Amino acid sequence: MSGALNAADLDDTLRADLRRLIVSLADTKRILGIRYSDWLLGAPSIETGIAASGMTQDEWGHARLLYALLKDFDEDPGPVEHDRDPSAYACCDALDAPADDWADVVAFMAVVDNALTIVLEGLAEGTYEPASGRASKMIAEEGFHGEMAAAWVRRLAAGSVEARQRVAAACAGVLPRTLAWMAPDDEPARRLAEAGILPAAETMLARFTERHGALLAGAGVDMPEPDRSDWDGARGRGPGHPGLEAVERARGDRNRELFVE
Amino acid sequence: MKESVYDVFARKERGDPLHHIGYIDAPDSELARVYAWRAYDEQNWFEMCIVPREAIIAVNRDDGPFARSRETAS
Repeated sequence: MSGALNAADLDDTLRADLRRLIVSLADTKRILGIRYSDWLLGAPSIETGIAASGMTQDEWGHARLLYALLKDFDEDPGPVEHDRDPSAYACCDALDAPADDWADVVAFMAVVDNALTIVLEGLAEGTYEPASGRASKMIAEEGFHGEMAAAWVRRLAAGSVEARQRVAAACAGVLPRTLAWMAPDDEPARRLAEAGILPAAETMLARFTERHGALLAGAGVDMPEPDRSDWDGARGRGPGHPGLEAVERARGDRNRELFVE
Repeated sequence: MKESVYDVFARKERGDPLHHIGYIDAPDSELARVYAWRAYDEQNWFEMCIVPREAIIAVNRDDGPFARSRETAS
């Protein structure tokens, strides 16, 4: 790739901008893995649970790869992975609360997981070489996540009145904040776009709509404007944070003494 | 949720014969593809495909695993 960048090529400001993005992507994948894992045995069928299990493992594997990118900044990823308070977690806002039912899980797949893929695709085509290589591998593994999401949205939308209402409400509920997280419209995001590391916010929003707008419209969900109210620029997301129980699992608190690195 | 049986076939390498490696239950072929890929991911398959069991026509015996689809079809 022409104009390929490494950490040594970036000034301190751009390094901080990129670090915010990497931590937010990694946190989102780790918490998304936890939200999927809650449903391995509560999914509508054994096969669905097995598929969710594979997706869980993908997300945690990708989170590990993304945290490891911090080494490129001469930063030990260990404390970021295992020592932060919930208030420091930068995952997509939509994942702060666990899924109440399978429709919520489908919304996480169709909205949050697909939004993650849009950002990864942006990184893969961008100039920051350490991330672009890893992102390509992740995107290849994510292919079946998108297919699972689309199949389940269509299935629930074509089901009972209640199923259609639940999946529509679940997707509509997470879309505004997820779009804001996926496509931040602040100075750090604009600097990343200028450096060619990530596409501009409007480009990523247009890609999401182009790729998933019809699927969601078929379920009765209109594409909303991103909800950027109370934006937390330090973390690159809205206010709030995931609960302590999820963060304890993400950090591996109970098995800290048993870690094998 | 009404589900159908899909048989899963795969080959490890280009040119290998296609083997029957198992089956899955799924409500439609779209989900059957995802479930098959996830349920039988112990190998790095070169190619995997699925067939709705009801599309398989038994040829030489009436007591094999695929015989019932013939009874259903006739």
